[in-house]
Amino acid sequence: MDMKRSHYEDIRLFSSRVVFAWFLVFAGVLVSYPFAASWLGKNYYIYMANYMAINVIVAVGLNLLVGYAGQISLGHAGFFGIGAYGTVLLMTKLQVPFVLALPLAGLAAAGFGFLLGLPALRLEGPYLAVATLGFGLTVTQIIGRWDLFGGRQGLHAPPLALGPVTLAGDFNLYWLIVPTAVVMTMAARNITKTKVGRAFVAIRDSDVAAHTMGVNLTYYKTLAFAVSAFYTGVAGGLYAFALGFIEPQTFNLMLSILFLSMVVVGGLGSIFGSVVGAMLLSLLNLKLASVHTLPFLGPVLLQLSESWFTVSGLPNFQYIVYGLIMFLIIVFEPLGIFGFWIRTKIYWKSYPF
Amino acid sequence: MKKMLLWTIVMALVIAVCAAGAVTAADAPGVSDTEIRIGQWAALTGPAAAWGAVARGAEAYFKMINDEGGIHGRMIKHLVFDDQYNPARTVAGIKELVEGPGVFAFVAGDCTACALAARDYLVEKKIIWMALGNAWSIKPDRHFFFIYPNYLDEAAILVKYAVETMGKKKIAFFYQNDDYGKGGLKGAQQQLEKYKLKLAAEVPVEPQDRDLKSHTMAIKNADPDVVILWVNPTSAVIMRKTAAAMKFAPLWMAPSTLADPALMNQITGGLWEGTIFSCLAELPDADIPLMKKYRAAFEKYVPKGERWGIMYMAGFGFAEPLVEALKKVGRDVTTDKVIAELDKMTDFKGIFGHITFRPEDRQGQKEVFIAEALKDGKSKRLSDWIKADR
Repeated sequence: MDMKRSHYEDIRLFSSRVVFAWFLVFAGVLVSYPFAASWLGKNYYIYMANYMAINVIVAVGLNLLVGYAGQISLGHAGFFGIGAYGTVLLMTKLQVPFVLALPLAGLAAAGFGFLLGLPALRLEGPYLAVATLGFGLTVTQIIGRWDLFGGRQGLHAPPLALGPVTLAGDFNLYWLIVPTAVVMTMAARNITKTKVGRAFVAIRDSDVAAHTMGVNLTYYKTLAFAVSAFYTGVAGGLYAFALGFIEPQTFNLMLSILFLSMVVVGGLGSIFGSVVGAMLLSLLNLKLASVHTLPFLGPVLLQLSESWFTVSGLPNFQYIVYGLIMFLIIVFEPLGIFGFWIRTKIYWKSYPF
Repeated sequence: MKKMLLWTIVMALVIAVCAAGAVTAADAPGVSDTEIRIGQWAALTGPAAAWGAVARGAEAYFKMINDEGGIHGRMIKHLVFDDQYNPARTVAGIKELVEGPGVFAFVAGDCTACALAARDYLVEKKIIWMALGNAWSIKPDRHFFFIYPNYLDEAAILVKYAVETMGKKKIAFFYQNDDYGKGGLKGAQQQLEKYKLKLAAEVPVEPQDRDLKSHTMAIKNADPDVVILWVNPTSAVIMRKTAAAMKFAPLWMAPSTLADPALMNQITGGLWEGTIFSCLAELPDADIPLMKKYRAAFEKYVPKGERWGIMYMAGFGFAEPLVEALKKVGRDVTTDKVIAELDKMTDFKGIFGHITFRPEDRQGQKEVFIAEALKDGKSKRLSDWIKADR
């Protein structure tokens, strides 16, 4: 049913008018969302959207590396940190305007991505995971010990000036972060449909076969790391402003694992999956902390935790839910939310047969 | 056409309901006829979960106040959320509380990065914050009150006690290489200058370092009478064990960040005995009425299996000045009135030292007292409250 009959059909952005209509609806929601939220006086929802959009950028970038090129990374918090620190330092120390500082910091992260891509030529699987893990941990150590980076005391983000306007507050940042996320997601989708993306997939499926067919492994493996790091670096730069303050411990191993789980939960090798996975896990990450305020379920859980959990009580619940989601997805839906979506679609298309 | 009309009516109703909700929420920031909402962020789970005890202490304190009848007919609602030491979660949680149920004030709140990330939003929303200490280099604001003495004062008092009371001259300083450690170092240097003395050795350590042999040798070679440990508990333990292995036994001193003799005794395997340390709050087993009352509240409201110690007491202590001010303000609670009342607070004595706030000086406590760690994690008070005069 999803059969593609021509190359053009495969590469075009919207496969049918219905999809295009849905896209318009989605864009409409994105545009009206902050107005609705601020009209209700809930800046908090805009902050949450910003946080999600930043994670979407990371997840999309990471999926290009893990899902498409088949290279694992447990060091993406490092790139995230390089992007955040790079943007802030370029702006405060060198007075580079934000419009330039953000992509430059992204490129700096890409540079480190390239370097990390070099060992990836020789390593795979768990060995690569350990190498990237080491990279992620090293970045926090170096940043934490260097006075230029504010040491362990961290750095404040400078005022964000875009030409004549200064963006401050969640509402204004939304118009920077969300469009960036949309554009970068579409760009990633395009990458997957070009020669580069096909080379990534070929390497993932079998690097020996890809090499035999003339795919330059050195070039494409390091490129995959660089592109992925660029995405993550840009997201890090945006994060510095969404939070207003950065310090080395923010970019720890847990963050890398969170990024990876977004991709796995969303669905490896799917842009749509990365977006949904990032949104779901960001939402859980923020909202599970206040699970006790839910109607009906909250008091029940509170009761349960008082009788069975340790003294720290209900907050433990978030780990259980988190673990359960990961576990269920890996056992029942290895393709993640994307796989679930595909099956639902097929089911309804062939309904009632 | 009829359908359109129906939809319009439904939409209008939905909007009206939402708008009504928004208006009532914005009307009273955290104070209603029956309750005052006080927020707190804490690492209840995750790597810094030990700090969660502060939040549980505050919880027990507020329960005690509520059972005594609340404050002028209002109950305190304590809204704690778990930020796992992650600033992104802290900011989200604070926004959710402030824009959801509404919060009158925040108490305590750990984690430097979290506090710094939260600062601007609290200023923007004009919310009172009873913060730990301004050692975090948080930019002051009309709504912020810092309780703990700063590290400069505390180090100066330790040095003062060593020189004036104990008659020691050769003091070495072992410090963590960040603002915490450097603050203590500066205070010690300033105090020694008054006696025309210099530190015998100044040795920095990174908190991640696990092999402290060279650090210990550097201090031992200076042959000091006193070594001040201005580090985190892990580094302190490693230093003490390394020193014991090298048969190096000076008089050890430590600041209030290491003032949990029971814990330190346990993790050093008994080596902590004899350490002289400064205390911000009365000793946990002190025989004074207030401490007895709090211990009783702890027994009553905190689940079994927890230990009454510094962390829990801190939870009680951070909330005390705010409750005191709320009691004095009376029934008509507004942010401005409570700030004015806090700014009048003079030598308020709760579980901590005497606390004084002034509009131009929001550093509440400026004194500590000195105690000695005894065998089996017990401790003995050696001095009265000492003020810094560096």
